Amino acid sequence: MSQGDTPQGSRRDVLRALAAGSVVGVTGLAGCVGSPDEVGNGDDENFDTVQFGVLEPFTGAFSDLAKERHQGTELAIKQINESDEFDFTIEYDDYDTQLDPATATQRADQAVQSDGAQFLTGCISSSSALAINDFARENEVVYTPGAADVSITGEECNQYVFRFETSTAQIAEVMAQWTADELGDRIVYHIADYAYGESVLEEVETRMESTSDSYERVGVTRSDQGSNDFEAFISQISNESDEADALVVGMTGSDLAIFLSQARSRGLQNEIPIVTTTGSFRSIRTGAGDGAYDIYSGVRYVPELETGDNREFVEAYESEYDGDVPDNFSRVGYESVRMVANGIREAGSRNPTTVAETLPGMEHETIFGPNEFRECDQQASNPVWMGECVDPDSGDLATVELLEELPGEEAAPDCAETGCDL
Amino acid sequence: MASELLQLLVDGLTIGVVYVLLAAGLSVIFGVMNVINFAHGELFALGAYFALALIAPFGGSAFFVALFVAPLLVGIIGVGIERFTVRPLYGRNPLYHILLTFGLVLVINDLIYLIWEPGSVTLPLPAVLSGSITVLDVTASVYNLFIIVFGALMAVAVWAMFEFTKYGLIVRAGAQDRQMVRNLGIDIDRYYSLVFGMGAALAAFAGIILGGYQTVNPTMGMSVIIPAFVIVVLGGLGSFRGAVVGGLFVGLVQTALRTYAPIFEGTGIFVLMIGVLLVRPHGLFGTDAGEEHAGNLLSGPRGGFLDPQTRTRLGLAMVGLLALVPLGAGTLYSTYAVTLVIEIIIWGLFALSLDFVMGYTGLVSLGHALFYGLGAYAVALGLSHVSQSAFVVLALAIVISAVIAWGIGFLSIRVSGVYFAMITLGFAELFYNLLGQLEFTGGSDGLFGLSTYYGLAGVGVELDEIAVFLGPVAITGQSLFYYIALAALVASFLLTRRMLNSPFGAVLKSIRENEQRATFIGYETTVYKRRAFVVSGALAGLAGGLFTLNAGYATPSLVDWLNSGEVIVMVILGGMGTLYGPVIGSGIFFGLEELLTGFTDRWRLVLGTIFVLFVILLPGGLVSLPSRLAPALLGAPGRGPNPEPEPESNPDPEPATDVDDAHTRGDD
Repeated sequence: MSQGDTPQGSRRDVLRALAAGSVVGVTGLAGCVGSPDEVGNGDDENFDTVQFGVLEPFTGAFSDLAKERHQGTELAIKQINESDEFDFTIEYDDYDTQLDPATATQRADQAVQSDGAQFLTGCISSSSALAINDFARENEVVYTPGAADVSITGEECNQYVFRFETSTAQIAEVMAQWTADELGDRIVYHIADYAYGESVLEEVETRMESTSDSYERVGVTRSDQGSNDFEAFISQISNESDEADALVVGMTGSDLAIFLSQARSRGLQNEIPIVTTTGSFRSIRTGAGDGAYDIYSGVRYVPELETGDNREFVEAYESEYDGDVPDNFSRVGYESVRMVANGIREAGSRNPTTVAETLPGMEHETIFGPNEFRECDQQASNPVWMGECVDPDSGDLATVELLEELPGEEAAPDCAETGCDL
Repeated sequence: MASELLQLLVDGLTIGVVYVLLAAGLSVIFGVMNVINFAHGELFALGAYFALALIAPFGGSAFFVALFVAPLLVGIIGVGIERFTVRPLYGRNPLYHILLTFGLVLVINDLIYLIWEPGSVTLPLPAVLSGSITVLDVTASVYNLFIIVFGALMAVAVWAMFEFTKYGLIVRAGAQDRQMVRNLGIDIDRYYSLVFGMGAALAAFAGIILGGYQTVNPTMGMSVIIPAFVIVVLGGLGSFRGAVVGGLFVGLVQTALRTYAPIFEGTGIFVLMIGVLLVRPHGLFGTDAGEEHAGNLLSGPRGGFLDPQTRTRLGLAMVGLLALVPLGAGTLYSTYAVTLVIEIIIWGLFALSLDFVMGYTGLVSLGHALFYGLGAYAVALGLSHVSQSAFVVLALAIVISAVIAWGIGFLSIRVSGVYFAMITLGFAELFYNLLGQLEFTGGSDGLFGLSTYYGLAGVGVELDEIAVFLGPVAITGQSLFYYIALAALVASFLLTRRMLNSPFGAVLKSIRENEQRATFIGYETTVYKRRAFVVSGALAGLAGGLFTLNAGYATPSLVDWLNSGEVIVMVILGGMGTLYGPVIGSGIFFGLEELLTGFTDRWRLVLGTIFVLFVILLPGGLVSLPSRLAPALLGAPGRGPNPEPEPESNPDPEPATDVDDAHTRGDD
């Protein structure tokens, strides 16, 4: 049999080549190895521009949230660039992370290495945000994530990460208190079987236990992330509804929208009060249709808030985007950029490390009123609300009515309990 | 208890009927045309979006009109897809369809994003279908009952058409033996467009009723395509009966698992599929007839345009050029170039590993991301628990991947063709689900914040802490890793090439050429295929390990089936069965993505279109380009594998395809 046209090489030749390559490599290294500090690292304090890298999952399941967040980011940049209060302008590029951590880090690398970004913002899924957390630490660039995962400003925190997005721990605080007070403490849970769902279960349950001595977990059902059929779970929850005071749902995205929609067609909303973490998001209310009516939800943001300069933000947003109303991720994108810009101005430097040292504890005027990134975990001290989604007076989109507010300092977990060591 | 079971039956049948409609079209398209249609999910989504567009102006009452008009429109699109993209590929290996329909997925999905807003929307339903009914303690929404009744009627109608019409008779005959139908004087090709159109319309129909059941969103096609394939394979490719039984069965089993064993919700159907395939290698109702027409194995040039010496020199020059990349980083171009080429190298190695089994033994693994992820997690867990030495953890990654590859190979290689692709996909999906569940692998988030040193037994260096100075150029961190990745790629290439030149490689090539003959000679081909699979798994593990060493994390998304699909695309893009072609394929894939994402937001549309055009115009992969261009450039006929067939030298009465021709001109 012929060996084909491939050049013939013996095993020995290959081994010899590999060994020779290794020797050359090693001797090459030995001759001229030094410290990377000798490479040089310049920075300036007189600057006109700062470079942002905006990383969003423009394609994939969160693309609608990405668009929402991106509009907030762009509005903030536009306002800062037009304002006299800042003596620098922000330049930025967009990068599509495709909802994949590997692509997210690749794009972050492109932003920093190729386009010179000193500040990164974006990412909505927790694993992408956690990957960029690491990237920010290693590359010493400031990062403002868009994910709510507790660990981002908890166990996985680092000095370069500042989060304006409200964390699941903060939302769980208001949900647990209000549910125990108003609905009762016998709870049945349905969660999506991944990090987000588990963290909702853990955070709500811990707080329920500390709020009420008679707290009882009636049952838990778990569905895979990305499920589209909840009939079997709804049947189980329905069976348990007599023994429970409320159903807490730890899901988000299309999972939650589909769940609510199917629950409505089975009449579950009439059997047991449904409490969600993100049911107040416009994207969920749009997806769930009348399934969102008569459910309760922790609220991170609604445009109707009268706090801080939220009115100005909403008006500017509506006029910039043809009447489009901002939602949760718009305000995260918007305020993340504004707070970092405040930090750059205060530091008088665009060196990310200098800015990262300036930001903790610094007071900002935000859409929520006075706010700060806490020194212990660099999480913004956002207030949170409990709300009810109700049948609207006109149109189909459920309206969110606020029921209770919990101030920022009460919603945030104790510094000692965050697991963050800064 | 009885009412509980009845409830389970109603819940399971609801989703089961949707699965039947979805899988029936997919199965018939495969059975008749041998087309593995990944775009089926997007046609399903397109149906829902067309219905949405039709219903929105008129309200829920237009639902019933949309239920017939939207599938008709999607059916017409299906006919168009068959005529203009699938038809040029008939007679070629079904692998072409993977690249083609992968391209179509990108095109259709991006068009959905372009035309409709991203995000979920509800499909308005008529008032008559809202509310719920309770009978005998069983509650069901009216819409669910509508799905069951109407979906079942639709399935019966399709069955009756296949069973009692002349059209159905010819299509069924075509699914069993196309050549025989041709010999009877029937132009089966004319029926293909209709079959494809009908399959697309069925998908659209399923999309609309599921759209009303859940929501309509741009990712709905992607979320159903894998369950749909599992059902088709479970029932047997090309079998309508199989699709019906498989669809209902999976619907019921999934619902029962959610109630009684929720931990197996995601994995249940894959375990079921693997189990069925191990007992019945062609699914429940499948026969092996379909695969006889699988066409010849697609492969890149053997012989080739360049003589061996020039090729070796060209290869050395390429490696030399690659070695120079970090030297210009930061001065001639940004250091990002290094990051990008590292990604190309790692994926190039991953693609090379796949080519070793796909290009040389014809085993198409649709679950190769399993080994990539396995390597990544072996390194991540090794760094956390065993040793921080890069060499130790990489060795661990290679060994673990090889061992698991042996086990999976042992179970999988007994099935062949598409069934092998699906069984490997099944294993990968099991692993993916497992990673999300296990605490010590970091659950769905993964493992982060890993660091390493390059050395052994605690003696070594961290790449960020040293720099190599070459005149004015300092190489540190990422650039040093670049050389490690490049060395791994070159070593793997030399190793696999050496293997292929050994007696072992000769057997692999003989399996590729004709497995039956190799068996007749006395080789136990299964053993050789398994060995190749082990080598391939080990190299994929090495690639995944290198990824984690460099990135410092491992997440379940590394095992996503899309990664397995993309690496197949790279192998086909570059040229299969060449080892170096897939590396070029990786470069082209990421290069194009890089170029297009910077150029337009609609990059997926452009990339998809390029794939579609590529597969139609350049079936031998990029490495066949020189031989294609040679006649034009040199004014002489090319000597490559895919020259146009010369009528006088081709005794075959049917026009031979390019690959047929390549095959008859093989180097043996």
